[in-house]
Amino acid sequence: MGKTSIVKIMERASGKPVKVGDRVWCNIDWSTARDFGGANCVLQFEKEMGMEAKVWDPDKIAFTFDLQAPAHSEKVAVNQKIIRDFAKRQGIKRVFDINHGIGQHVMLEAGMIKPGDVVLGTDSHMNLLGAVGSFATGVGNSDIAASWINGTNWFRVPETMKIEVTGKFQKGVTMRDLLTKIVGDLGAGGMDFLAVEFTGETIENATLAERITLCSMVTEMSGKVPLIMPNGEVLKWMVERAGPVVAERAKEFAADPDAEYITVLKYDVTNLEPLASCPDAPDNVKPVREIAGTYVDQIHIGSCSNGRFEDIEAAFEVFKAAGCKVNPNVRVIITPSTREVQIQATKAGMVEKFLEAGVVFTNPTCSLCTAEHYGVLPSGDVGCSTTNRNFIGKVGKGSHTYLMSPMSAMATAVKGVITDPRDILG
Amino acid sequence: MSEVLRGRAWVFGDDVDTDLIYHNKYLAETDPKNMPQYAFEYFPGKEHFAKEVKPGDFVVAGKNFGCGSSREHAVYCIEYAGVPVVLAETCSRIYYRNAINNGYPVLFIKGISDAIKAGKIKDGDELEVSLDTGNIKDLTTGAEFHGDAVSDLEKDIMSAGGLIEYLKEQAAKK
Repeated sequence: MGKTSIVKIMERASGKPVKVGDRVWCNIDWSTARDFGGANCVLQFEKEMGMEAKVWDPDKIAFTFDLQAPAHSEKVAVNQKIIRDFAKRQGIKRVFDINHGIGQHVMLEAGMIKPGDVVLGTDSHMNLLGAVGSFATGVGNSDIAASWINGTNWFRVPETMKIEVTGKFQKGVTMRDLLTKIVGDLGAGGMDFLAVEFTGETIENATLAERITLCSMVTEMSGKVPLIMPNGEVLKWMVERAGPVVAERAKEFAADPDAEYITVLKYDVTNLEPLASCPDAPDNVKPVREIAGTYVDQIHIGSCSNGRFEDIEAAFEVFKAAGCKVNPNVRVIITPSTREVQIQATKAGMVEKFLEAGVVFTNPTCSLCTAEHYGVLPSGDVGCSTTNRNFIGKVGKGSHTYLMSPMSAMATAVKGVITDPRDILG
Repeated sequence: MSEVLRGRAWVFGDDVDTDLIYHNKYLAETDPKNMPQYAFEYFPGKEHFAKEVKPGDFVVAGKNFGCGSSREHAVYCIEYAGVPVVLAETCSRIYYRNAINNGYPVLFIKGISDAIKAGKIKDGDELEVSLDTGNIKDLTTGAEFHGDAVSDLEKDIMSAGGLIEYLKEQAAKK
């Protein structure tokens, strides 16, 4: 019987043969923390190990400032300082401060992440790095602080689900809509404790941005890690950033043809339509067409799910088709995922057009993933967002949010009510 | 851990996310002792939890408890409120790790999700819980439940008092 990708990755990381269900100790390639959770990790490490204790390897630790960057309160500013000071004391050089953007995206652009790497981070969407074949996983502060002691951590070797995707998206329909479809089908616990391999022609032809989108919401089904091995243009991009070893690793960690899966699901995207996660849960899914006309107060495009250049470009396509105007009755906020994306969008001339139309185009951050950020919704308001969660009161008590693709979100911004982007794109 | 505990139940349904347990508004908090005051503040109908929970009470939930964020605050706010154990049909994987890594027990209870929906275990019921087996007797309704076995590694980490303590023990043995 062949091996799945996650079994191969855990065999490399633990240095021994493993089987599904085993508890194994894996060597960690990157142990990272954000401005949220990071201070907790530092304080816990120093309390448990003493102020003089050294981390196992300062070159395998990184900090990213993304949830509340720049700091919006004294408490957050203090937490960020705790991290900066710790990094200085420990000789940790990779501190991506407030001017960088969303952690996973920043580390990916910096060429730090390779297929087969074991990556920990205090972000439950860490596992979107499975989009380039790494076993990245979100953990709490204890996992991070413990991993700093000797660079290992424990994992259960998970069963793997395989999702095969075929077909081409119609105009106005995107990877986000496929993802929303899968979340609706499987539900909030539909991948609990599982690894998930995405395969098939649609995935093989997908851009890095699309792969990131698809992988970003595996967490919303409680999955452990999604895995896609880099190929084609994505492989080229990765090799440029992280070196030729990426190509070897992509081969090494690809699943064997006779690997065993707990479930195999098949999706054909040919007839897929724009979908939305309705209030107040990601798995409460309806076609955008069905909820069209619903009044909204604010539209937000960004996040680790849909904040790449291609996402902003997709929104721009709809915006342009509508004459580069948004409805004056709604507030529209666009947040690029990283500074690199922000520069790309600026150079492409999109930012100027958005600003002229009255869109708020922000610095790169996680933005409206919390109620502790600008753009928070007051009670009674309805939001429309490309983030990945719309739990009760998530971005403001008494508010409600519809999650959808950047194209659907921009179509909604143009009309001021929920709108199917195909109505604008024609 | 052959202890049998007795206390009141606080009952929740399936897919209780971390924002309902501990809202993102309070993420900048770094001291676990300050976290219980915010527990379940955003959970409709359970806003009074933080004020009224008593040490020894139990949190009882259905499937996928603690889905969503990686915030360990969602474990601390229950643990530091004096709740000795979370009893759920299943919990999300990050929540499970965060609990075990703190030496805090989360026990998986077969059939409890359906029992909650059927009203066989309700808010305020008096429970008897065996920490060793996860077996539960609802003294109010008479319903009984059985816990799933916990793997050896998780047991070892919990009995060491958490992951860091476990690693220290292992280092001392070498």
